This record gives sequence, structure tokens and C-alpha cells, in this order.
Amino acid sequence: MKVSVKWLKTMVEVPADLQTFADKLDLTGTAVEDVQITGAALEGIVVGHILTREKHSDADKLWVTTVDVGSNNLGEDGVPKPLQIVCGAQNFVAGDKVPVALVGATLPDGNTIKKVKMRGVESRGMNCSARELGLGTDHAGLLILHPAAPVGLPIAEHLDLSDAVIDLEITPNRPDCMSMLGVAREVGAVYSTPYGIGRDVPEAPIGEPTDKLVKVSIEDPERCPRYTARIIKGVKIGPSPEWLAERVRAAGARSINNIVDVTNYIMFELGQPLHAFDLDTLTKDAGGKAHIVVRAATPGEEFTTLDGVNRTLDEDITCIVDGNADDGAGETIALAGVMGGLASEVTDKTVNILLESATFSSAHTSRTSRKLQLFSEASARYERGVDGTTSDTFVARAAALMVEVAGGILCEGVVDTYPAPVQTPVLDLRVARLQNFIGAPLSATEATEILTRLGCIVEPGAATLRVTPPTYRPDLLREVDLYEEILRIWGMDRVESTLPGGRGRIGEKSDEQKKLEVIGRALRASGLNQTMTYAFSSAADSEILNMPFEEHQQAVALINPMNSEQGFMRRSILPGLLRSVAYNQNHGVSNVHLYEIGTVFFAAEGRKLPKERQLVTGILAGSWVESTWNTAAALDFFDGKGVIENLLRELNTVKVRFKPLEADVAPWLQPGRAAEVLAGSKRLGWLGEVHPRVCAAFEAAAPIVAFELEIKALLAAAEQARPYKDVPQFPAVELDLAIVVAEDVTAEKVAQIITSAGGVLLDEVRLFDVYRDADKIGVGKKSLAFALSYRASDRTLTLDEVEKLHQKIINKVTNATGGDVRS
Amino acid sequence: MSLMDTIEEQRSATLTRIQAAGTTAELEQVRVEVLGKKGTLTALLRGMGEVAPEQRGAVGKAVNEVRDEIETRLAERKEALATAELDARINAEALDITLPGRARPIGTQHLISRLTDEIVEVFRGIGYRVVDGTEVETDYYNFTALNAPPDHPSRGMQDTFYVVDRSGAEAAVKGESDVLLRSQTSGVQVHTMEDSELPIYILAPGRVYRRDVADPTHLPQFTQIEGLVVDKGITFGDLKGTLEYFCKQVFGADRKTRFRPHFFPFTEPSAEVDVSCGICGGAGCRSCGGTGWLEILGCGMVDPNVFGYVGIDPEEYSGFAFGVGVERVACLKYNVPDLRMLLEGDMRFLRQF
Repeated sequence: MKVSVKWLKTMVEVPADLQTFADKLDLTGTAVEDVQITGAALEGIVVGHILTREKHSDADKLWVTTVDVGSNNLGEDGVPKPLQIVCGAQNFVAGDKVPVALVGATLPDGNTIKKVKMRGVESRGMNCSARELGLGTDHAGLLILHPAAPVGLPIAEHLDLSDAVIDLEITPNRPDCMSMLGVAREVGAVYSTPYGIGRDVPEAPIGEPTDKLVKVSIEDPERCPRYTARIIKGVKIGPSPEWLAERVRAAGARSINNIVDVTNYIMFELGQPLHAFDLDTLTKDAGGKAHIVVRAATPGEEFTTLDGVNRTLDEDITCIVDGNADDGAGETIALAGVMGGLASEVTDKTVNILLESATFSSAHTSRTSRKLQLFSEASARYERGVDGTTSDTFVARAAALMVEVAGGILCEGVVDTYPAPVQTPVLDLRVARLQNFIGAPLSATEATEILTRLGCIVEPGAATLRVTPPTYRPDLLREVDLYEEILRIWGMDRVESTLPGGRGRIGEKSDEQKKLEVIGRALRASGLNQTMTYAFSSAADSEILNMPFEEHQQAVALINPMNSEQGFMRRSILPGLLRSVAYNQNHGVSNVHLYEIGTVFFAAEGRKLPKERQLVTGILAGSWVESTWNTAAALDFFDGKGVIENLLRELNTVKVRFKPLEADVAPWLQPGRAAEVLAGSKRLGWLGEVHPRVCAAFEAAAPIVAFELEIKALLAAAEQARPYKDVPQFPAVELDLAIVVAEDVTAEKVAQIITSAGGVLLDEVRLFDVYRDADKIGVGKKSLAFALSYRASDRTLTLDEVEKLHQKIINKVTNATGGDVRS
Repeated sequence: MSLMDTIEEQRSATLTRIQAAGTTAELEQVRVEVLGKKGTLTALLRGMGEVAPEQRGAVGKAVNEVRDEIETRLAERKEALATAELDARINAEALDITLPGRARPIGTQHLISRLTDEIVEVFRGIGYRVVDGTEVETDYYNFTALNAPPDHPSRGMQDTFYVVDRSGAEAAVKGESDVLLRSQTSGVQVHTMEDSELPIYILAPGRVYRRDVADPTHLPQFTQIEGLVVDKGITFGDLKGTLEYFCKQVFGADRKTRFRPHFFPFTEPSAEVDVSCGICGGAGCRSCGGTGWLEILGCGMVDPNVFGYVGIDPEEYSGFAFGVGVERVACLKYNVPDLRMLLEGDMRFLRQF
């Protein structure tokens, strides 16, 4: 809501310092979004006196003028010296006073005046038209000022143009502030000063009775609780007087003509939207009477609004209909509360006006605006709610003002259809409860005084006040609504800050929350950086990954996505992280180590809400470190595995296993480098190198290692703590065992055989080398070297007993795997 | 040559060699050759049997004296050489300590989750629990039970993401849906009030979604932290005190706060909270738009209508709620110029925090 301070000052006292004023409004609930000083933009533009006017020797339509600008241009002797200015306007003579833009001045259109030569003649400034100063549309010639205008005075000062327009954010609960009157009332309440309507309108001459010329029918009072019509005959359409045009412009509208400007002016001034119909375009009955009908639109009917756009209506939209039209159903002449029609709009030829002042349902208006994407100053007010009790008095002021600025005669009386009168609640305000709720010692007297300033009628009482809110405050429906009013005017800053003193609260963390923190810490300790990606995904993502989801794991589809790449909710975090890898690689960052903990979504037929699951997904590409003086090995499967091993260690997970994943169940991973992660028989997730085909589809360079684990499964498999084991008291005996086996024998299997054969004395088995050499050990074979550590908890083992056990293990392993001990 | 001369000759020759030895190894060589089992001086001692008995005392004494002297000199020389050798090795082993360390860099926490944790810890310290909610919600929990009017624009397809309703209900089959991506974490309030015992002191951080085109100042998904207190005797002063404490903890003890009355459907009275600008200290500058204040959150006393939806008696209980946008806090604290950086996963960005 744009508020001209100059205008506001005619209605209520306003502090001289605008910043203080804006702060006060901010702190009482009316946010000041912007303050524009107008008129100040005309700096360097002054009153000039044209002394001479000669034809340009080299151009037919140009004049060379000398212009006195007073002390704005001094000669070397310190005496004012006229400027030579070349000018193309034709509407002036020597002796006229005009606005002059001095060299260096910037016009409202952004052009800065420079010293120039025009067809060889020097010009030091510019004589201005009204349009060049942003004061109207007239650019036929120079703006000729009053002969008494003081030479050299800034034009903004001379024309009294200086104004400040403050832009107020009016919250949806404050329809009353959508007018100058409402803002003046609010300022009056805030500062405890009187306010008024400002400018008076003279009484208009009265003609024939209005009810002879128009009747009004409302089909559904819920859509239109009140419709008031007035008629003005014999107006002369023309430009508005400058004061009216200026105020309409200050409020943010264009000045169109005197009649339309009055409708806008009254809306800005009083908050009552009005619509002027050209009475002669409406069909009359035999008695010469127009018939206004307010009713639901016919589904599918078409209507051209006065912006020239043809629109298709539905029955939720309320129409103003010309009830005398031929087809019986009537013809739509306006969309109630939103915009009038092209056919009945006021034109230059209009003589007789039907003026509408009505109340329309806010819900219907709001839906109509959104449906048609048609937002007007009127609809903004109806959406919030227009006070139905004042449409008759406000329209009277509007009609009289039309006669003042456009001539004509005001028809006697008003046709006022008011089927649903406004109901005002009566509220009890308990003073003690107010004090306890706010936590401040507000007295009954203070509360009464504030509410009265806001327009409430208050029946005083010691403990309880009986409050009747004004009709323009439909938001004041409950006792607590009054608390808010009292608090904001009394001052939130005056309330003492305290902390709740309640008992029985503990700022605890659940086990789950603690373990979730462990997951993040462990991954970061392993070198992964946390990130966040979009929770949206596309159909293409699913196609590329080809993860085998079940029937009850369908993607959640958005009805109104921002774009087709974000048409679904994700079922895996992997695509987002692959995009981040590609993003990094495209920006010259090849070492990427990321993880995300986030939600994935699964829908199923017959289920309203999807299932949401938390996943932790990690991705590794490049090396751990930049390859500088250190050698940096390319990250592969085992780096990912190491991250998971660290993580599961920190979570105290036991019986961790990695099981090969076949290509048909994990098509997004490279076959042979894909594993399922298990704790016992419980699946935790997957790990592997992303299939080169998938990497390519995401425009990311392989190899990329990734893993995705289910948070819920991780938490379930996490033990509270590891049991204490005695620190070894006796030395261990270390023996190595290198065994050559076929490629398809896994290290895990060999280790298992060793472990089971070793029994209690075998303390630890550690793989320390994997070796392949076609010549030395044969094609399709590998050598696995293990370090075996033997230890007893109660004595030092003898070499003899260790060697016996070691041989037993060798026999078991060679028998079970068909391998040979490598000498 | 007399025996005594031989002894003297050995003495002076050996001392010369000791002095000449350049390394501890050379010195050891000397020691072995002179004092070892087959050493020259050892040989002299062994040959004492052949010395005339009357000379034995003198010769023996001379040989022992020479041996002691040689041993002393050897030890001295050894010490000197060992010191020199260690010095040389230390010199040779000096590093360019400006070369990068060899550790694998520890990973970093995402700025938003770091700030979320920081804020959560502030409230945990004053007795709040953290609760979760789902990101897909029904409009009942996201709007209706929070007192949003039926025709409120935020409910529209323009502002809120709706997802396909697969319940099979009649309206769903027609393509209508009241299932949405939550546009605020406030729905967690309603679930908590429905499900929890009173009093309630909770914090609900989480991801929310709004139909904004991603640009430097908007994201279609972002992070909110919702706070809710319901207890007997909660006042607006408690709300003020709590949020002032929060602002000082997160932004610094020197920052001021102010409460501006505002409007939200689910609170009454409602307010927006500003914290004084950290750059100009409240005088007004470009980053605060000249006002000296930065808006950081919305809050208010729980509206009795909201209590009505969950069956809490507003005559007995009162409470307050607030919502903080974590991305907004990130922008204010770190001057992140473009919110989209938060979702790109750029290592150069992530590793700054």
C-alpha cells in the first residue's frame, strides 16, 4: 500500500522525521518496505525566465533562447548570467517562465543534461515539458509556469512536488489499512492524535430519483452482502484536475480521466472499491430502468474485461449482469470485485454514469483473481474484506466528487440492496488474563484507552472490559485478538524478557539421534564431506540407474513440478551425488569425497502417504589427496569399503560381511566390483564402483565409488558398546601363510577356513598381500598372503606347539581350496 | 731398539692414528689393531714372559700406562667423532617443513547441517527435545490445523508442491490431491501436540519445499527449524526472553533484537524478530538495507484455534511457536552470495566450513 505523506498530512499529524515515523510504524505492526522521496529526483531543475527567443540559423524548428536562472549560473563577476539554451518547443514566447534542467541535472527518465552543440550552436541546459519532468503526459510543449514564479527556485519547491511515498506491507488481517483513511486512523491510534478525512467535497445539485433509473437484484447474499448504486447524469469526461491526478499517481495508479480517477481516488482514500458503468450502454426496460443483477457466472461463458482480454468464466466467479439484456439470462458487464467489462466502460463520449459501491465475498474474489491471473487494486481489497457498513456514505462522497470534477447532476437518493448486514461481535476482555498472557502489568485503563483509540467501543469494568470492535476490523473476533492489538500499540519492546519456568523438561537426545551423529562424525573422519542435493528426481534418473524396485516402491509423482527434471521425489540419493561429481569435475576439481544423509520416498497403490526412509550415501572419485609431492593413488572399491568398515566400527556393528552383487540385481554398479553390505543376515545397503555406463549418462568421469546404506538398518545393527577384552599379557608368535588359489576363491573364504581351523590360539588373521604372476604362479591364480598371530591368554606358547597348529591350518586350507602353499 | 723405546714408539704412533681417524669406524679399526686380541699392545703384554724379571715391573707399568692413555684418547676421540657424525646426519636430514602434510584431510559438515546443529544445541541446553516429521504431509497438518484459511494463496498450486494421491479415494481418482510436500515444519507442532504429553518443549528441524524458482535468493527446498512450547503460564515475555537468548547465542552477545508485530495464521499475537546488523552495528548499511536490522524469524503465541484442533484447553495452557530459516541464517552469518551453492556439492565451497 503506497501512502503519500503529503496526502496523509492532510488527514493526521505526522512526525517531521520520516525515519522515526517509519520505525514507529514498523514496531506497531505496519512494516515499512520502502520510502521513496519524489520531487527530489528533480534536483538541478529550476524556474527559468526566457529573456530572448531567436530562430536557429541552421534549423527551421529550433529556437535559440537565453534564459535567466538566477544565481544558479554566475558569471566571472559573480553576477547571475543567463544561459544560452537551444530548444525545439514551439509553444512559448520570450518572457515566459519555464522549468530549466541545468547541466548535470538528471531527468526522471535517467538522462543527464550535458553541454552540447545543436547544429553548431552551444546549448547549456534544457527547457522542459511536463512529461520530461514526470508530471504528466503532456509533451506538446514546454511547461509554462505562473508569471510570478521566482526565478532560480528549484521546480520541486515551486510546484510543491516534494513528497515521500512510503510503501506499507499490510498483513492479510488488516483490510482496514488498505486506505488512506485507515492508515490515518492507525497513525492516530499509534500516536494518540486525532485524524480526519481531509479534503471536503461540495454538495452536488440533485436531479431525478435514482430508483426510477435503476434496480438491483442480488441472487446470493453470500457472494454479495451489499450493493449500492448511484447515478450521475450529464458529466463531461476530461482530464482530472492536477490535485486529483497527483494523488491518484501517488497511490500508484495512472491518471485516466476525471470519472475513472474519482473511482480510484475514493478507493485509495476510503478503501471502498467503486466501478463506473456507462449507463447508456446498459439495456433499459420499457420504463427506461436499468437492471443490475449479481449472480454466479454461467459455466463456460466468455467475457471481455476492460483490459481487452477475453476470459472464460465458471460458476465460482460472481458476475454483474445487465438484467434487461435480450437473452433473458442477462449479459455480463463486470466480474464482481475484480474488473469491469470493455463494453460498458467509461469512454470520452460517456455522459451518464452508474456508480457501483458494493461488498463482495473475499473467498470468491480471491479464487477468481487467482484462476484468471487477474489482480487489481479492487480485488486486493475485496480479498481482505471491505467494510459493508459504509458503502452508502462512501459512494455519496464519490458521486459528489464526480460532479465537482466532471460537472453534471447527482440523481436523488441511492438504490441500496443490503440483504446481509454486517454482524459485530461483543467480546469480553479479562484484564488479569491479559496480564498473565503477555507477562506485563497492563492496566484496565491502558487497555481501554488503546482499544478506544483503535475505534472499539469499550464498556469499562475493573476485571472485565466489554469490547465492541469497529466494523472495519473484521479480524477482531476473539479475546486474544484484542490482546494482540493492545500489545502492539502498548509496545512489544516494553514487555520484560523472561524464560519459561516450567518443570520436568530435559534437553535429551534419543539413542537414534546420538547414533546419527556418530554416522556423520565417522564419515567425516574418513575424509568425506557432507553435502545436500535436491530431493527431486526425474524419470530419466530411474531409467539410467535401473534399480530393481518392488511394486510398493514406486516413485512419488509431483502434480505441479517446477520442471520435468524434478517431476518425482527421489528413491536414491546416488543421482544427486553423481551430478555433484560431474559438477566438480567440470570445474576442475577431480578429487571428490561426498556424503549425504537424506530422505527418499516410496509410494504404493492404495496408500495415501508415501513411505519415507533415511539413507546415507557416499561417493568417492579421484584420489584422497592432490597428487603433489605425495603419490596419490586413484580411489577404488576398497577405499569405499574402508570408509564403511570405519563407519561400522564406530557404530559397534558386529558380523559385518560384504557379499558380491551380481549384475542383474545391481545393474548400476560395475560387475565384479559390487557388494552387498550385511551385518549378520541383515542387509545394510550396497557398495561398489558405479557402472561406467551410468557415470557416462551423468557426464561424470569413472571410476566412481559409491555406497548407499539404510539409516534404520544401520541403527538397528549398531550395538550400544563393544565388550571389554583383556589386553594380551603374553607375547604372540607370528607366522606367515601364502597360499596360491584359483581366482574365484575369495579372500574372505580362505580367512574363514584359517579362522575356524585355528581355534582359540589363533589370535588374529590379517591379509597382507595379493599377488598375481602368470609365469611364477600360473594363469587364473592368485597368491594370498596372510599374517597369522598365535597367542594364548595364560602362557607363552612354544614354537613347537605353534608350528604344529600352523601345519594343521595349512592342511585344512589346501584341502578345502585346492590351493598350494607358496614357497 | 729397547723394549721401552718400542713401547714409546707404539704409544706415539697410536696416538697419531687416533688423532687422524676421521670416522668412528676408523677409530674402531685402530682400537682393534692396538688393543684387540691380536693387537700390537696386547702382544707386548703377552710377551712379558720374555722380559727380564728385573725389567718386568718397569715395562709392565709402562705398557699399562700407555694402554690407559690410549683407551682414554680413544674414548675422547670417539665421543668427538660420534657428535660430529650425528650433527652431520641431522644436517642431512633437515626437511622442507613447508611441504604439505601427509594426512588424509578430515571431512567437513555441510554449512546448513552445522548451523542446524548449532541452533539445536542452543535449545537443547534450555531443555528442548528434537522431533522429526515427514516431508510429505496432508494439507490438514500443513495448513488446516494451523488455522490457514481455506482460500489462502499459499495453499495454491502456484505456491505449494502437491503429489499424486494413491489412496484410491474417489477424489484422488479424479486427480485431486490433498497430499503435499510440506511448505513449513509447523505441521510437526500439530503431530506433537496430538501425540505428546504436556508440557511440550520441542524443536523440529527439517527440509521444506516451496514452488520458487532456484535463484541466488530462493530455493524450492530449504531448511526450517520450528520451535514449540506449550505449558501452563507461558507468556509473551517468555517468548521474548527465549528468542533473545537464541539470537545472542547464535549471532553474538553484542547483538540486539527487536520484535515487530506481524501476522501469521497459527499465532496470535505474532511477531517478526530482527537482529541488529553485524556489519554496521545498527547504524544502517547496504547489507541491512539501511535499517540497521536483519529479519531472522517469525514467532508468536499459539493461536487458540490451533489448540482447538488438537484438543488442548487454551484457558489452562498457553504456548509459543517460532520458525527459523536456516538458509537465511547462513546468508546472514556467512554472506553466502547464492543459495544454489548449498545444493551443488562443490568441494571448494563445502570445504570452507
